[in-house]
Amino acid sequence: MNYDILVVGSGIGGMESALKLGDMGYKVLLVEKEPSVGGKMILLSKVFPTLDCASCISTPKMAAAAHHPNVKAMVYSEVQQIQKQKNGKFKVKVRQKPTFVNPSLCTGCRQCEMSCNVAVPDEYNFDLVARRAAFIAFPQAVPKKAVIERQGSSPCSFTCPAGIKAHGYVALVRSGKYKEAFDLIMETTPLAGSLGRACYAPCEGECTRGGLEGPLPIRKLKRFVADQYYQEHAETEYKQLPASTGKKVAVVGSGPAGLTAAFHLAQSGHQVKIFEAAPAPGGMLRLAIPAYRLPKEVVDRDIKNLTALGVEIETGVRVENPAELKEKGFDAVFIATGTQSTREMRVEGENLDGVIMSLDFLRAVNLGDKTSLQGKTVMVVGGGNVAMDSARVAVRLGAKKVFVQYRRSRAEMPAHRWEIEAAEKEGVEFQYLCAPQKFIGKKGKLTAVESIKMELGPPDAGGRRKPVPVAGSEQTVPVDLVITAVGLSPQTESLQGRLELNKNGTINVNPETLQTSVPHLFAGGDVVTGPSMIVNAVAQGRRAAFFIDRYLKGESLAGVAFDGRLPVVDKEQVLQRQQGYRTLAPVENNEPLQRGVNDFSEVEPPLSEEEARYSAGRCLDCGVCSECHQCVSVCPANAIDMEMRAVEEEVEVGSVIVSTGFRLFPAQLKTQYGYGQFKNVITGMQMDRLLAPTRPYNTVLRPHDGKVPDSVAYILCTGSRDQSVDNPLCSRVCCMYSVKQNQLIMGALPLADVTVYYIDVRAFGKGYEEFYQQARAMGANFVKGRVAGIEEKEDGNLILTYEDIDNGGTVARAEHDLVVLSVGLLPNTEVFNLFSGVELAADEYFYVKEVDEDINPGKTSIDGVFVAGTASGAKDIPDSILHAGAAAAQAAAYVERTRIGT
Amino acid sequence: MSNKKIGVYICHCGGNISDYVDVEKVREAVAGEPGVEVAKTAMFTCSDATQQEMLEDIREKNLDGLVVASCSPKLHLFTFRGVAKRAGLNPYQYTQVNVREQCSWTHTDDPAGATEKAIRLIRAGIARTNLTEPLEPIVVNTVPAVLVVGAGIAGLRAAVGLADLGLSVWLVEKAASPGGWVAGFGKMYPYDRSGSDLISQLTAEVKKRNNITLFTNAELVEKSGSIGDFNVVIRVNGGEEIKANVGAVIVAAGFDAYQPGDGEYGYGTDGVLTLPEFKALVDSSDGRLMYQGREVKDVVYIYCVGSRQPEGEDRTYCSRYCCNAAVHAALTALEKDPGLHQFHLFRDIRTYGKFELLYNQSREMGVRYLKFDENEPPVVEKDAAGKVKVTVKDLLTYSEEVEIRADLVVLVTGMVPRENSGLTDVLKLPVGRDGFFNEIHPKLRPVETVVDGVFICGTCQGPKNSAESVASALAAVTQSASILKKGYVELEPLIAAVNPELCQWCGECAQSCPYTAIGKEQYQGREVAAVNRAVCKGCGGCAPVCPRNAIDLKGYTDAQVRSMIDAFLKETG
Repeated sequence: MNYDILVVGSGIGGMESALKLGDMGYKVLLVEKEPSVGGKMILLSKVFPTLDCASCISTPKMAAAAHHPNVKAMVYSEVQQIQKQKNGKFKVKVRQKPTFVNPSLCTGCRQCEMSCNVAVPDEYNFDLVARRAAFIAFPQAVPKKAVIERQGSSPCSFTCPAGIKAHGYVALVRSGKYKEAFDLIMETTPLAGSLGRACYAPCEGECTRGGLEGPLPIRKLKRFVADQYYQEHAETEYKQLPASTGKKVAVVGSGPAGLTAAFHLAQSGHQVKIFEAAPAPGGMLRLAIPAYRLPKEVVDRDIKNLTALGVEIETGVRVENPAELKEKGFDAVFIATGTQSTREMRVEGENLDGVIMSLDFLRAVNLGDKTSLQGKTVMVVGGGNVAMDSARVAVRLGAKKVFVQYRRSRAEMPAHRWEIEAAEKEGVEFQYLCAPQKFIGKKGKLTAVESIKMELGPPDAGGRRKPVPVAGSEQTVPVDLVITAVGLSPQTESLQGRLELNKNGTINVNPETLQTSVPHLFAGGDVVTGPSMIVNAVAQGRRAAFFIDRYLKGESLAGVAFDGRLPVVDKEQVLQRQQGYRTLAPVENNEPLQRGVNDFSEVEPPLSEEEARYSAGRCLDCGVCSECHQCVSVCPANAIDMEMRAVEEEVEVGSVIVSTGFRLFPAQLKTQYGYGQFKNVITGMQMDRLLAPTRPYNTVLRPHDGKVPDSVAYILCTGSRDQSVDNPLCSRVCCMYSVKQNQLIMGALPLADVTVYYIDVRAFGKGYEEFYQQARAMGANFVKGRVAGIEEKEDGNLILTYEDIDNGGTVARAEHDLVVLSVGLLPNTEVFNLFSGVELAADEYFYVKEVDEDINPGKTSIDGVFVAGTASGAKDIPDSILHAGAAAAQAAAYVERTRIGT
Repeated sequence: MSNKKIGVYICHCGGNISDYVDVEKVREAVAGEPGVEVAKTAMFTCSDATQQEMLEDIREKNLDGLVVASCSPKLHLFTFRGVAKRAGLNPYQYTQVNVREQCSWTHTDDPAGATEKAIRLIRAGIARTNLTEPLEPIVVNTVPAVLVVGAGIAGLRAAVGLADLGLSVWLVEKAASPGGWVAGFGKMYPYDRSGSDLISQLTAEVKKRNNITLFTNAELVEKSGSIGDFNVVIRVNGGEEIKANVGAVIVAAGFDAYQPGDGEYGYGTDGVLTLPEFKALVDSSDGRLMYQGREVKDVVYIYCVGSRQPEGEDRTYCSRYCCNAAVHAALTALEKDPGLHQFHLFRDIRTYGKFELLYNQSREMGVRYLKFDENEPPVVEKDAAGKVKVTVKDLLTYSEEVEIRADLVVLVTGMVPRENSGLTDVLKLPVGRDGFFNEIHPKLRPVETVVDGVFICGTCQGPKNSAESVASALAAVTQSASILKKGYVELEPLIAAVNPELCQWCGECAQSCPYTAIGKEQYQGREVAAVNRAVCKGCGGCAPVCPRNAIDLKGYTDAQVRSMIDAFLKETG
């Protein structure tokens, strides 16, 4: 699609140009980066000197811009590049940012906004109040369509292998919406309770708060959410069970991968049956992880989330040939048998009675065989988490001494730090750089272990330094029980020749779809990846379910994106965005760890509701939108589309008008006025919001304590006519907007005094001088003199030190309870980045340069590119409108000229 | 009662209305009025969302009448007509009721009264709507030509701009040559380009375009017709009359410089000049400034002469350009003589925007600024040595009284409205309190006047510098083209209609018409009054004077007005 004229920016100038050109019959593309047209004027209260309501002037133009038959208004879009062509026209790249709300469905009802759980400073109220991540910019927005602000994935959610929306459930806990938080976790996995206890929580490792006082307890919050739900619901309640598809799926293995896959397949309406070899379902959750970390009732309760959907589980059945299940009526099979074997050490004496493999040991204990180890010395070999579990279980079974031998140093130990520390606290001893060489026994029964010291040699293929035995350092100690925990491997011997296997015995699958060499067989979890974390298995189960569902529906598996996530946000930027985050210390982890603990009750105490809310409240909302999906559920129009992505398009235009507006002077740069520090020092723009019909509060009040002010001071020329901030220019509008606000304040608060500290009052336009005199007649007090500094009193009032020129030039002090800084305008320099090839020239103060203002106002250094409004210098609204009219006339003339030429 | 289905929408206008008018109470009070099918309130009826809601209501409920109770029709009449149109409802079956300017804003001290008044006004609006009938706008084909009055810098630039968009231009200049004030200027601020150069450049551009016809020594003497199709008469050299047909008129008639009264700050005595006189002196000197054969060493400028006068005087306005011009004149004078001493006596220095740089530069170059209190203006006297003595209390040095002996005193005079009564009469243009031509609205319609199709630009609208005049001239070009490029305009059908059955042609109506829109025609063998639909403005002046009640005003028929009065008078309970 091509256009005659591109207008960049839809403030009052841009709209004026676009509408007039549209009226002339030209096709206009109007690009606006905000979600609404209207620019800054729509945010004002009333406008000088006529005191028209800014909305009343703007809204008809905004509506016209959106509805004009010759104007296409693209909001929430950015021009990326403008390049002039040889034919005098311009190639333009425009990027439509994703709003995550389908605009053709959205009705502007604000349900999403009201259900949103993330609050961020409201830039449309100049940060006086907060808005939600799902929002409509302001009540008069055109188009009135919601936008969801997603700056990217939050690091916690992004890093979760399973794709659990960690930020989402944290935000929901913060809002006290525990049931909703549970439902959100259930969108990904049925194992909320188990993961809430036994997940290694990579999310916490990425938490931005981790760089400050420590990460949020994201895992424990999940446990809190699950506990809350399970306390109230002995059985899982589903509003509606899915309609049956008539397809049957078998899942082999009931570990986290199998359970998660079965859950999602059942949600999709398939009939699912799980086959489990062990006497009880749960896989590693049940068999490997000790009950003090993961009580088995929790696993049972998690599994009820599936069975409530109609998933059948048959235990004690070993499926030797999954392919044959097809003959039993299963349309697809998911193999998730995990890694059920402990690797052999290949050390002499490994078959002695008294040498046991960790998984066998843990499985026996978990299934109820709590044979006492009273008085025994137990040695655990290995440095992983399974080794820690084994050691800590041995402690609980009453062993006299439990020690761990690990062949590398502590720094290399793969077990988690907190697991090692907990084991130490429970009395487990550690021998590093040491490994058994020989298990010694009598009559087939273990009596002692011969170990050898190791030292770290050069790095091996995996990059870890390889331990090398130190000759002559052998040592023999008496041991009653050795538990070997040197790695896990899958049991896939029976699949040999039926499926393609890898060298290490894992099943070879398409990594994207998890489909095996046999089309109706899919495999995932540890049996594919090798030993890993629960949450990785969950991820695999979810992925498998997605592709099995497609397979069952006869849909293509290739080239389909699964679990699309936005790029992760930059933590530095998140921290910079915080206007001053409070230090919020993490809740202390008070695990009652003690030496020689002898029961299997859960070690980790739960978070109290207060602790949970407080902890969730520490969240920095890194990605802004938390993906809590509340908007998705409440939207009556089903308009929320979290998969929406940016769309770029390229168009050709005949001419360009840049009306990119201005930037407000950042008041904090005038440090002596204390903006940002003193709560009752605000900017003129903030005062305009306080006075606007869509004001954030229902009256003018000072932000510090909500007091209605009775003495308001204005400091003119804040950041203008001021070499100390490198801006010698006059901003043209501040005198007059201040005078306007004076009149409005005197109307709204008849008892308030208004004092204006000024250098010159520049009331130069038509009707302005009269407007200024009117403010004086109404009682506004104009004091000539520059304010040198402000001090804050305890009650929030402010003491101004100023030069009182009218009274002999003495230095005087005055107290006010609200100070308004009449901040000026600065150039918006982003406009210069839009052009490639030829540079758009700037004037010496970085406004767009007008190369021939005397005769062609608005003409820029690039023939065919014109500037309208404040992009070329500070202007008030009437001057911006006239200037925009001038730009339009010349852009039209350029189009006519080049049209004849081509 | 009524066979109409009317939708009534009452606006909060943020809090502009609802702070004083109880809009919910109003809604309840009017919801049961005859014909009302829907009665709703809205935060902003003009917002896109509410417009959408109205659109849906009109379509779904098959409404054939619309009443919006919000602000003045000046603001949103076209907005809601647009809504009606988009919904497929005839726009003339909509009535705007102004409950903001007429209720909430006027009765801030009496919310109950404001509410009751709103109820009555809306009931009247509903009554009127019940009797509306669909009307179609009067379509006038536009003439792709524009008459530009005044060939100063604004008029010249407008002519070139119009021609570049394919419109023919008749450019009429009263003086013997084009160029206006700027043609006589030397260096101008802030780019230091000479005014005469700018004008030669523009007149060359004018000559290049054969769709511009320039008349000098010419004036506009007659205008008839209406927007899109005016007939004008141009008198050249005081004799020959040329007739032209144009679609629009742009007035760029310029300004006059303020001429101080005799004795005002010593004006009239030697050594006291106005700013334009001083500029001419500077422009014409080759080296050092000479005045009456003497070298000028000390110059005093007195600001705001004839401007910013107290309430009640003629010129209360600020003349906008003069601070910049005086500062720039000081810089130009320094180029001629770097040793010149210059003292500026000002009230507020209004070197707005980038012109602040000129002010800074002048101070850096040694130009001195003294601020006087408006109640204690400087005093200018002739001293014994023939110099001019200026006495002033300088607020910037603790109100110290300063005496300056000057070779020249420059009275920084502003712009005043040009004496244009002939033009004003021909075009029927309104002037504002300041005497300059008045735009309809400084932001919504800055170059339009109440006379449709007649636009204003440049300094005849108010003081401006040259570049600002050019910008407004181009804005007027844009406004003209936005009407004329379309090829037609639609005029209001709310005009007088004669019932030829009743009319017996007495001529009373034609006498009363301020627009000469009523003539005679034959109807069934007799003479009756006939309204020129393109010329009638719908003022209604003819309707009451007709002795036979043969004239009605469409959209405001006698029946409608009567029903409105009845509705006003109904008890509000």
